[in-house]
Amino acid sequence: MRKLFEDCITILSWFAGLLLITALLFLVAYLVYRGGSSLNVSLIFGETAALDALLLKRQVFDGIFPAIAGTLLLIIGSMFIAIPVGIAGGIYMAEYCSGAIKSLFNLLFDILAGVPSIIIGLAGLLLTIFLNRHFQGQIATCLLVSCLSLALLVLPYLIRTTQTALETVDPVIRKTAPVLGASRLQNITLVLLPNAISDIISGIMLATGRCAEDTAVIMLTGAVATAGVPHSIFGQYEALPFYIYYISSQYNGPDELAQGFGAAIILLILCTGLLISALWIQRRLTTMLLYR
Amino acid sequence: MTHRAYSVSEHLFLAAAVISGLLTVAVFCFLFLFGLPLLQSGQLTDLLFSPWAPAKGLYGIYPMLKTSLLLALLSMAIAFPISLGCSFIITSLAPVRLRGFLLAVIRVMTGIPTVVYSFAALFLLVPLMRNLIGHGTGMTILTATPVLAMVIAPTMILFFVNSFTRVSTAYTLATDALGGSETQKLLYVILPQAWPGVVNGVLLGFGRAMGDTMVSLMLAGNSIGVPESVTESARTLTAHIALVMAFDFDSMEFKSVFVCGLFLYILTAVLMMLFRMSTAYFSGRK
Amino acid sequence: MEAPMKIKTQSLCFYYRGKQVLHDINLQLPANQITAITGPSGSGKSTFLMTLNRLWEEIDGCSISGNVTMALDGQLKNIHDPSIPVRELRRKVGMVFQQPNPLPMSIYKNAAFPLRLAHINDKSRIKESVESVLKQVCLWDEVKDRLDDDGRLLSGGQQQRLCLARALVLNPEVLLLDEPTSSLDPEASAAIEELLLSLKSQCTLIMVSHYQDQIKRIADLHVKVLNGRFHIE
Repeated sequence: MRKLFEDCITILSWFAGLLLITALLFLVAYLVYRGGSSLNVSLIFGETAALDALLLKRQVFDGIFPAIAGTLLLIIGSMFIAIPVGIAGGIYMAEYCSGAIKSLFNLLFDILAGVPSIIIGLAGLLLTIFLNRHFQGQIATCLLVSCLSLALLVLPYLIRTTQTALETVDPVIRKTAPVLGASRLQNITLVLLPNAISDIISGIMLATGRCAEDTAVIMLTGAVATAGVPHSIFGQYEALPFYIYYISSQYNGPDELAQGFGAAIILLILCTGLLISALWIQRRLTTMLLYR
Repeated sequence: MTHRAYSVSEHLFLAAAVISGLLTVAVFCFLFLFGLPLLQSGQLTDLLFSPWAPAKGLYGIYPMLKTSLLLALLSMAIAFPISLGCSFIITSLAPVRLRGFLLAVIRVMTGIPTVVYSFAALFLLVPLMRNLIGHGTGMTILTATPVLAMVIAPTMILFFVNSFTRVSTAYTLATDALGGSETQKLLYVILPQAWPGVVNGVLLGFGRAMGDTMVSLMLAGNSIGVPESVTESARTLTAHIALVMAFDFDSMEFKSVFVCGLFLYILTAVLMMLFRMSTAYFSGRK
Repeated sequence: MEAPMKIKTQSLCFYYRGKQVLHDINLQLPANQITAITGPSGSGKSTFLMTLNRLWEEIDGCSISGNVTMALDGQLKNIHDPSIPVRELRRKVGMVFQQPNPLPMSIYKNAAFPLRLAHINDKSRIKESVESVLKQVCLWDEVKDRLDDDGRLLSGGQQQRLCLARALVLNPEVLLLDEPTSSLDPEASAAIEELLLSLKSQCTLIMVSHYQDQIKRIADLHVKVLNGRFHIE
């Protein structure tokens, strides 16, 4: 009887694994099948010449270049805000915080990490409305608001990653510099951070991927279907995930649909690429640092 | 013990953490402030349990509530056994070389954007559903379920594997030496030790399922009515927030969105507190 | 008269993460006798034990070359032969680790665990076996009233005896012991030594030990290890 149970568990587990992997392969294959044909320069730049588009001399109307540009700007903008705050916060949590306050912060950051992304987007929207009421009509949903919201979205991940990376530094290494007379700050900047750097970088890359893929936040805070490459951070913009969403319900004809699939493939490559680099960095850098 | 004054940079570290913490609270406050008029005007029970019919002045979020719960529970029902099975394979059942590879694949899966899953499913699953049910658009709760399960499974798998591999090697090696099979090791030694991790993983998975927007927005149909069966089109709390993009920021429709938001926020907070408490409880017991 | 051979190794080499730990071991270990293995730390004694029940396969980075043959069920077999599943081998070749490792369950369940793993479900048979094996290791009187207590709550010496009982419950033909008395006080050690002597009639014992006088007392064969090479004394 028990043997039967054990065998069932074994078989079902393998079945589960097979199911998941098959579903994944099916998904990727389907995307490539539907979108592979549209993966060429005109997908990105449409009728406009590539060089002109890149130098922003001419607008691109039927290519996804604006969306790609928008996504890149989003990533840069939000990480620009999130990285310093996240790492600083993580340093504080790991090195200066303890006791009840630490538990409180841990809980708050867990909550922030767990809050649905649409709520973060909503918060960004509310902030805009709130500011709008006070600075009459000057603030609207725009790239800046989206960057701030996305930064809020990934902030807990960065804090948590930095905190964990610092906390898992070998206790022996942790005590070496102070013994030699270093201040706490020097210990952190000269010893602990370099030691934890690979984990922190990999955390940054994961957060970047999160910014690139998010749709819910940007939907509410400034992403639109057509806006061209944004000229200022106070303007509206396009982004890849939003483009994909928009196309899914508003496509005109099979060509546009194929473009949607193409965009999905590009976004997939971008995000998984970031993730794989994050994993690779974590492995490689650690080996390099330990054996240099 | 001399008191050292914190240097400027150390003040900055503190500030960063405090600001981040305050922002978490601030989000809640924003939601609360904006939703207050609705909370004050209507009765809470009305809000939670009445249907959504703006024409009749009803701004209840009950349909959305029911849909979110239904979708989350259903996708957990699929995702949990699959995640558990996969975590068994990665921890023990697969040959050693295969384990690392599978783990990497699952890790990469966590990076796949939900909008990409939904986009593919839109053209793959929806027509299928349409044929199966026979009528309607094919966008139903049931359509969104397997996709949402696929979204939350990788995170749960990683969480489970993490808990399993933390079980002391003294126990696992002892079981090996006694002639235990991999499955026996999992069932009789690893699981009994690591099941708090499984519980935590389930909490997290459920939270993610409730909080996902794109899968339900693109696949579940977004109808307003209270769903009576899973083959109906329905709208989740998160999709509702995304859809009610009224330009009239003072309208009651818009304000109902905050009640959704508040509910989701409080749900997250409760889940996280349960998570923390259960971690503390179980590690205390060891 | 020469005792029949129980275990034979031919050109056995062991590698851990590329480094060679055991070099070309050719041994014949007699049946129903106690073979003691001594040597400095890190010379490969515990590793050798692991080659005899293929436990090294559960650890990352290990590999071997050469042959290990054992007389099991009256037949001489290569232990890596696919006709003996590794689980069966480990039921016939019991192991007691250097650090006592009771599983996180009650004393009774600890002792009964191997039976459960072998799908023996007859409750009365389990009860009999557990009682008999706990008596054999002189633990029965101490624990008979608290069989449901967690095994980890016992003292070090009791835990080690529990692990020994656990290894004996399936009547193994070979018993591998890694420094079985190193964490015990002199009285408990003496009790274990007596027990090991009494076990000779039912199985072959291979024991790693640090104690020269212990070896003089109970070992029939003494093997010395230096830098992964074995010689018989």
